[in-house]
Amino acid sequence: MTGIVVLIFRILAVISLYAFLGWALITLWRELQLTSSQLTSPQFPSVTITPLDFEDLQTREYQASEVMIGRDEGCEYTIPDDTVSSRHARLSYHHSQWWLEDLLSKNGTYLNDERVYTSTVIISGDELRCGKVNLRITIKNI
Amino acid sequence: MNWLFPSSSAWADQIQSRLLKLSAVFLVLNALVLTLSPAVRYHSWQAEYRWQHWLGVLIWLASFSLVHRLVMQALPERDPFLLPLAALLTGWGLLSIWRLSTENGLRQSLWMVFSLLILVLGLRAKNLLGVLKRYKYIWLISGILISALTFIFGTYPGGEGPRLWLGCCGLYFQPSEPLKLLLIIYLAAYLADKILVNPNFLQLLLPTFLLVGAALGILLIQRDLGTASLFLLLYFTIIFLASGRIEVLAVGAVSLLAAGITGYAAFDVIRLRVEAWLNPWLDPSGRSYQIVQSLIAISSGQILGRGAGIGYPGFVPIAHSDFIFSSIGEEYGLAGTLALLAILALWISRGFRVAVMASNRYKRFLAAGSAAYIGLQSIFIIGGNIRLLPLTGVTLPFVSYGGSSLVTSYFTLLLLMLISVRSETPPAPLQNTRPYLITGGMLFISLLSAGMVNGWWSVIRSNDLMGRFDNPRRSAVSQVVLRGAILDRNNQPIVISTGKPGDYTRHNLYPPLSLVTGYTSIVYGQTGLEASLDPYLRGLQGSPTSTVWSSQFLYGQPPPGLDVRLSIDLKLQTLADSLLGNYTGAIVIINAQSGEVLAMASHPYFDSNQIHENMGEWLQSDRGYLLNRATQASYPPGTALGAFILTDYLAGQPLPDSPPELSIRFNNQNWNCAVTPSDPLSWGEVISSGCPGPILELGKQLGAERLAGMYEDLGLTQSPSLRLPVAKSVSTNDLTDTLKIALGQDAITISPLQMVLASASLSREGGRPAPFLALAVSTPQQGWVILPNDATAPALPVVGIPQALQLLENPALPVWESTASAFSGEGRVAWYTGGTMPDWKGTPISLVVTLENQNPVAAMEIGHSLFKTILRPK
Repeated sequence: MTGIVVLIFRILAVISLYAFLGWALITLWRELQLTSSQLTSPQFPSVTITPLDFEDLQTREYQASEVMIGRDEGCEYTIPDDTVSSRHARLSYHHSQWWLEDLLSKNGTYLNDERVYTSTVIISGDELRCGKVNLRITIKNI
Repeated sequence: MNWLFPSSSAWADQIQSRLLKLSAVFLVLNALVLTLSPAVRYHSWQAEYRWQHWLGVLIWLASFSLVHRLVMQALPERDPFLLPLAALLTGWGLLSIWRLSTENGLRQSLWMVFSLLILVLGLRAKNLLGVLKRYKYIWLISGILISALTFIFGTYPGGEGPRLWLGCCGLYFQPSEPLKLLLIIYLAAYLADKILVNPNFLQLLLPTFLLVGAALGILLIQRDLGTASLFLLLYFTIIFLASGRIEVLAVGAVSLLAAGITGYAAFDVIRLRVEAWLNPWLDPSGRSYQIVQSLIAISSGQILGRGAGIGYPGFVPIAHSDFIFSSIGEEYGLAGTLALLAILALWISRGFRVAVMASNRYKRFLAAGSAAYIGLQSIFIIGGNIRLLPLTGVTLPFVSYGGSSLVTSYFTLLLLMLISVRSETPPAPLQNTRPYLITGGMLFISLLSAGMVNGWWSVIRSNDLMGRFDNPRRSAVSQVVLRGAILDRNNQPIVISTGKPGDYTRHNLYPPLSLVTGYTSIVYGQTGLEASLDPYLRGLQGSPTSTVWSSQFLYGQPPPGLDVRLSIDLKLQTLADSLLGNYTGAIVIINAQSGEVLAMASHPYFDSNQIHENMGEWLQSDRGYLLNRATQASYPPGTALGAFILTDYLAGQPLPDSPPELSIRFNNQNWNCAVTPSDPLSWGEVISSGCPGPILELGKQLGAERLAGMYEDLGLTQSPSLRLPVAKSVSTNDLTDTLKIALGQDAITISPLQMVLASASLSREGGRPAPFLALAVSTPQQGWVILPNDATAPALPVVGIPQALQLLENPALPVWESTASAFSGEGRVAWYTGGTMPDWKGTPISLVVTLENQNPVAAMEIGHSLFKTILRPK
């Protein structure tokens, strides 16, 4: 009789031990799902490019982590102007920032009238000049 | 339980709170089982319950409840798994240590409080990781110096042993424990600052080798070889993680192997350890005692374990420290140890996750090193416990008894928790994830193999190991479970167990039978019927399988023992013993029809009640106190074969007219009749008087071949099967010389038991019965059940028997008889064999009296006295 009563406690103890493990594993699994969904649909602020003096161009908003600017048709933001190189500059989002990078353009890329040589952090309201084309960058907060 | 482990809305706090609650439930349930364990052991609620360990459980609950709150405050963004995993391991270890020793349990509880204090202080310290990094040389060098101090001030807390501890007055510290962690901190800090482009090995290894070598040297001189090899392995692991070069692992493996081989050649300790590992079964009571006992403990746990407090983990040496895993294996079973391995795997995986997510290289190396440290050390000692690896005397982190180990483990936990805090800065770039995957993968594979080997011992090999004679649990449970009694044929008790549960002792109520009943002792093992009837006396055989299984499962014990009834008749046995008195020799009386042994006396004898007092004396004496002369002694039969030769002769031809010369010369000695034959000298008279001349004459006429056939028919060439050890019988190859076969001399020897069985074939007119000693067992369901026995075997040609018995009949008693003598080396053997006549209406009896170095007349007189009593009308 004593054996049976104690056996019940022993079984309950084993159940609690495996509940611990099982629950830890389920939580880990959920955490993994969460991380991977974060990786597949990364959350970052959209960037909007507004032309300031070029009438043929439109204002466009991008929800991607990389925006290529240039004369080439394959660029995300195409500027049909001869002062703009075919692949002129790149906006990219990493390290929680939007970065501007000059892609060795012929006429240079200027951020708020200063020439860009290395990758530079940009903020909302910055003015960008590619060749002779002026653009305004707006970053939407999330 | 929210008041104990409260939670906040944060995800991490919820996980930590939930896991700590489940750990608490697990511990409290097991503590309850431990409290109730005496009730299980003694099958009664009226037992002395165990309460002491609740102090440990309360300390655990209180300190972790507090630490949980403080951690939630100080590090809201930490990894939430690390603390509960460590808490469960510590609590489990704590309970196991309390269960083994109250004193150690109390000490370990205090060490736990101290470790948690360091953890809490560390959480509050500003920039602890930075300070550790900046003064890396100071930490490692002071660690090395403190370790070196053990050369001068080293002690061993337990008395005699390796002097690896510092301290006094009951407070001891083992510097080699934190040294491992200091090595990791130093290497992480050093390697984080060095960015080597395509380094070669010298660039990688040389700068660190001076300090690492110094630390290693100290460990080697201390002969702390387990820690030294762990040290070496950790060193190469961290270099591998930092450099990402697989060759480092190869170099590490080669160096470890080289160190092992050198060590094997140079150090006796290593050689013994490795040999004990490779073949533990060769010396299970000596060098491999620990490992064999550890395996037996694990195998006793089986799948569900015996339950806390119900097993016997204390039989394994240093169960609270080096062998805590086997102690957990015994009481929590495979279910428990697999969970423990899974907890370790989780801990390692969280550690590596923290490493990969770390914000800089220093933190990354430190986290990975810390996780690998706990993982490797656990695998070292668990592998040693289950014979996956040679035994190394390191502790099981968080679980084993030991202050230094616990403090170091908690400091490692502190480092990981600090690194795990999610910072604003994203993870440092990681060019190559391979080293982390490889190291983590290897640790997981090791844990998995440990789990499989563990399963091999606790499931597949479990019964073999538990049945080993060096399993002390077998004797230990016999003090708790009543062992069956041994009764005589009239249910008179011969050997019984008395006392209270937990304190049963075995009593032999009729000590002269000790040579037959044997003994059962924790020290000396088992002999005689106690050994051969053990499965019945322990209730394992004869009880329903379900009872055996359920009592093993529920109580960790065999069911109550069953009584066994012997064929021995205590009245007859007492008579035989009193007649044998101070003579050296044996008497066997059997029922000639059934083969049941009615009395079996052998003098001198030992007393199974006094083996612990007198065993040494009996073993040293040359009088053979421990030899059952009735079954184990080999005596030349001499002229005792006369009756059989006469019978065999009469089956073929009539006897010659008159017997020849009575005495002969044998080996330059005169061999006369055993007793003086009375006139007229008939064939019957001279043969029953054991006169060698007439017997040799008949034997010669039969020839060697026929005589050898007679030996086989009488069963003299094969050992009778009895539940006792019996003498080796004569080989048919020795049956070539007619003289020696007819007169039973030289290599031709038989035991008194063989003689009495052979003569039974005369009294029952053909057919030799098989001996029968244990008649029946008292089973719970069917009452007395007859034990199986061998069938009767054919014997001498029946045709000669009636005439031979007529010739050999005693004129005064309704029996045939033969008194004989034989030469045995320097001495003489006297035989008396006899039996009832076939027409005797009572129980057919056959008996033999064998005396060493006595006048055959003495044997004959004993035989006559026996027959007079046995055959007296009731």
